[in-house]
Amino acid sequence: MWKYLIEKEFKQFFRDPGLPRMAVMFPILMILVFPFAVSMDIRNISLVVVDHSMSMESARLIETCTASGYFRLVTGCHSAAEAQKMMDDNKADAIITIDSGFGKDTGNSSGFPVGIKINTVNGTKGSLGSQYILSCIRKYLDDSGSGQGAAAGAAVQAAGTSAIPQIEVSEKYYFNEYMDYKLFMVPALIVIAITMITAFLPALNIVSEKETGTIEQINVTPVSKTAFIVCKMIPYWGIAFFILASCLLIAWAVFGYTCKGSILALFLFTTLDIVVTAGLGLLISNYSNNAQQAMFVIWFFAMIFMLMSGIFTPIASMPEWARTITYINPLRYFADAMRAIFLKGSSLADVWYDAAGLAVIGAGVVTWAISSYRKSGDA
Amino acid sequence: MDNTGLNAMEIRNLTKRFGRFTAVDNISFHVRKGEIFGFLGANGAGKTTAMRILCGLSRPTEGEGTVAGFDINREQEKIKKHIGYMSQKFSLYPDLTVKENIRLFGGIYGLGDRKIKEKTVEMLDMLDMKDVRDTLAGCLPLGWKQKLSFSIALVHEPQIIFLDEPTGGVDPETRRRFWEMIYEASMKGITVFVTTHYMDEAEYCDRVSIMVDGRIAAMDTPGRLKEKYGAADMDEVFRIVAGRAKREE
Repeated sequence: MWKYLIEKEFKQFFRDPGLPRMAVMFPILMILVFPFAVSMDIRNISLVVVDHSMSMESARLIETCTASGYFRLVTGCHSAAEAQKMMDDNKADAIITIDSGFGKDTGNSSGFPVGIKINTVNGTKGSLGSQYILSCIRKYLDDSGSGQGAAAGAAVQAAGTSAIPQIEVSEKYYFNEYMDYKLFMVPALIVIAITMITAFLPALNIVSEKETGTIEQINVTPVSKTAFIVCKMIPYWGIAFFILASCLLIAWAVFGYTCKGSILALFLFTTLDIVVTAGLGLLISNYSNNAQQAMFVIWFFAMIFMLMSGIFTPIASMPEWARTITYINPLRYFADAMRAIFLKGSSLADVWYDAAGLAVIGAGVVTWAISSYRKSGDA
Repeated sequence: MDNTGLNAMEIRNLTKRFGRFTAVDNISFHVRKGEIFGFLGANGAGKTTAMRILCGLSRPTEGEGTVAGFDINREQEKIKKHIGYMSQKFSLYPDLTVKENIRLFGGIYGLGDRKIKEKTVEMLDMLDMKDVRDTLAGCLPLGWKQKLSFSIALVHEPQIIFLDEPTGGVDPETRRRFWEMIYEASMKGITVFVTTHYMDEAEYCDRVSIMVDGRIAAMDTPGRLKEKYGAADMDEVFRIVAGRAKREE
């Protein structure tokens, strides 16, 4: 009996005008296009320089900034008011004002003669922009001779007396050395692709059987509900694995990213996630009478799950109540585990917590889904 | 007298309530093996609810009975193995071909590959549908779809077949041919339980029951019903009996 049902699902899947193409396009789009689109690396910050010094030193500072690649130099202007006007008109994201004394008294304790003004309407762009400018200035100071530069470096940070001891802060980034945002996003995008496909498709499939009335015909046959549903899920499991495999392949072929941990662990977590999302899809299809309803409800949950999963914004920086909500978000666990395995090479023992979270949510959702399915059959 | 051997269905005091609404109100009847039993009633009289219970889709609130020899309260899955069901709505898979639909339902009833192949040849031959065997079922004309649904409902040679308004929306000629198929099935000893809104079809039944407000208001052969109500045809009988309904749809 199972053989015939699975055969039917595959035939229907491949006969559908859109689904097979979607299953192929989705991973390609996810891995080739989205890492660029969702990149948080800020580039092309419009920088205005008000240079009162017009010295060799100031020219070198400006060059250091533009050479970093983050800034786009807007034609220099000569007064602070003019620069402010440009910022008001949204033509400038950042303004550097260089005092006339620049280059002569960078060494003394009266402060560093450079002013920075940042447009923080876009908070991320603003704070990253100021970080970049500061690091450019630091780089300039490092380059311009050890004695003078080091002292001035201290002045930038402490802006206090020259008597403070020299502190060197050295930074080293682990696991993603170059802070490549794309590398950070690839495992998360795999998470989104798999979740979307395995939540939407089975639910819509079941709702469409409700709409055509074929589910009623199946209900009068000896096919058990569990068999019917499991057979429906199997093709989507296949699709999810296909998506995972092709995403990993594309990430390796195009970006040269490889999974640091075990690929088997990735597949294991994908399986757990499928149980949760497919159960959720089924649950929603039980309570929906038509495709629009199901679509909207799934879209609603997908939205919340994604925004509160830590995929785009760190969970640690969410307020307490929001953090509490993320504990019942399956994507939180899935994304965390996928990133840990892919970027750090964590083993199952390291991410057992995520596996447990997914398993508990999955058990809850599936139990609810099956019991509500029985009830709807008796209405 | 024990009629178990002779009856395909025996229902006693069947009641189904939804909250405070009693859809089916204490009905009892039996259907003999090989009989064509017409189950009539206006919309909302409780026909569909009763039929769902008989097919094992729903449990009765009260009452007991057997369908194909199995208990309607406890052996629903066994009932499903021994009945066929065809609804007014076309419910084969429109995106599977004629042949694939036969194969799927044959497989679901546990026929096995070899038996399915034999059945397919036999059915396509009987339905005269050999030329369209690889056509998607959704693309067939309505009359053909219904003939195909009917044959597929019989694919596992069930003891009883339930037909829920099987001829809704088809032309008189197709309806007549459909009833020929029903007679053929009945000749082979299959019990036919059919609901319909066409009173000329009610005349073709061996016996009919008319449901009004959840109860069976009349049940006998069409001939005796006409006699009893002094009516010229079943249409008149139905209007007299169903006209006493108090319940709105």
